[in-house]
Amino acid sequence: MARLPFGNDIRTLRFLAGEMTQGDLGERVGVTRQTIAAIEQGKYSPSLEVAFRIAQVFGKPLEDVFRWEGDGG
Amino acid sequence: MSFREKTHWAALAGLLLGFGWYFLTYPWSIVGTPAGVMAVAGMLVPVTIIIIAVMAATAAFFAIRAPKEANLKEDERERTIHIRGTHAAYYPLVLGVWANIIAIFYRLSAGEHLNLLLATVVTAELVRVGSQLYFYRRGY
Repeated sequence: MARLPFGNDIRTLRFLAGEMTQGDLGERVGVTRQTIAAIEQGKYSPSLEVAFRIAQVFGKPLEDVFRWEGDGG
Repeated sequence: MSFREKTHWAALAGLLLGFGWYFLTYPWSIVGTPAGVMAVAGMLVPVTIIIIAVMAATAAFFAIRAPKEANLKEDERERTIHIRGTHAAYYPLVLGVWANIIAIFYRLSAGEHLNLLLATVVTAELVRVGSQLYFYRRGY
């Protein structure tokens, strides 16, 4: 499987947000726990809407949650 | 493992059990006769019951154990997995239809055509469910 050209800090942000679980985050974003796990591990590229919703939960701008790691970044 | 992935495993088990039994026990010696056609119809009843029973029992079991998870709506990743699996199943389906069209020119019996069609549908279903399970396991 090709690696996604971006990483994320969701795991850290969850920890800093009172050790929020993947299930809690998924519930607040409107996706399953497994989808949050797949996003965290860089296995699944979320839609822009879900990415914004995740950032909104942590009260951060999108670029503080996801960072571009591909070419031309 | 999500509720939907579990129901997919149940679907795979139901398909393998139901149609495994069908293709292993079908009376191939009478496939070219009218009785062979009736055998297809008769054997599809227990096959349908097996598949429905396996899926219903599994869904009920896991829904009782984790009702919250069972009530979750399909999210975007699951929808994508669903679409990709259905897309993968399109190819064996088309190949099977062409095999049936070609078989017409070889004057196959109605029973043989029915079984070829069934094999096409079962193969496409196995590819659909199998590829969806692969995507679930891989994460996407």
